[in-house]
Amino acid sequence: MDESSTSTLGDRVRLAQRGDSAAMRDLIVSYQRRVAGFVYAITGRSDSVEDLCQMVFVKMARALGRLNAPDQFESWLFRLARNTCIDHLRRQKLRRIFTPFAPEHENVPEPEGSVGTEELDALRHALSQIRPKDRALLALVQEGRSHAEIAATFRTSVAAVKARLHRAREQLRKYYQSDED
Amino acid sequence: MKTDDPAWMRLREHAASQITPGFAERVMRAAGAAASPLFVAQFAMCAATAALCLAAVLLFHSRASGEEDASSLAGWSEIAAQASDVDQGL
Repeated sequence: MDESSTSTLGDRVRLAQRGDSAAMRDLIVSYQRRVAGFVYAITGRSDSVEDLCQMVFVKMARALGRLNAPDQFESWLFRLARNTCIDHLRRQKLRRIFTPFAPEHENVPEPEGSVGTEELDALRHALSQIRPKDRALLALVQEGRSHAEIAATFRTSVAAVKARLHRAREQLRKYYQSDED
Repeated sequence: MKTDDPAWMRLREHAASQITPGFAERVMRAAGAAASPLFVAQFAMCAATAALCLAAVLLFHSRASGEEDASSLAGWSEIAAQASDVDQGL
């Protein structure tokens, strides 16, 4: 992202913080597709993408006033999205413990081919085999985020990001290839 | 896998297609349905329920203890009367 677009983003965020609803709407529209992709990569469920995105953006709208560094908006938004998805997966796991449904009834898998091509199915399957936090990491890389930005999003060091990313990529490659075989 | 990997691109496209028209407006409405009045209303409801329960417990307790006091007093009056009869008999 170049300097001018960063300053424009910062200005839009500042306007939204001051209660400008057009700026807020603009932020939502600008990021809804990217957040949807990010959410889908972590949860693997297309039926919950819109609900989760709505949760993320409602949280964003309500907490935006407390964001001290408007230029860090993207890192902040994706951290919000990641935490929302991980909380959602945690709640699902807990619900599975307390509800008398068998796992196959709880999460009916999306039929093969229903969401797109074999490639996409293979990627979805490979992603489902790795930890949600690693999925979030890979999804951020796919978003084009730098290691430093990912470190800021995850509140960790660049070295830790590189190490975890290496491991996550290895795992994804393994499952993606075994799925293709 | 690179950022422009076709599978990742399809994944992003598929996810984006799940967002239905009017999404931003729905988010704005949901965010505008301010959390604080709802919280205040819920808090007020809880407080009113707690106050009602407390009042009911106090009322029941004061009635029950009043009846117990009355029956104890009646018992003591009877004993006092019997004791006075015994004193007079002696």
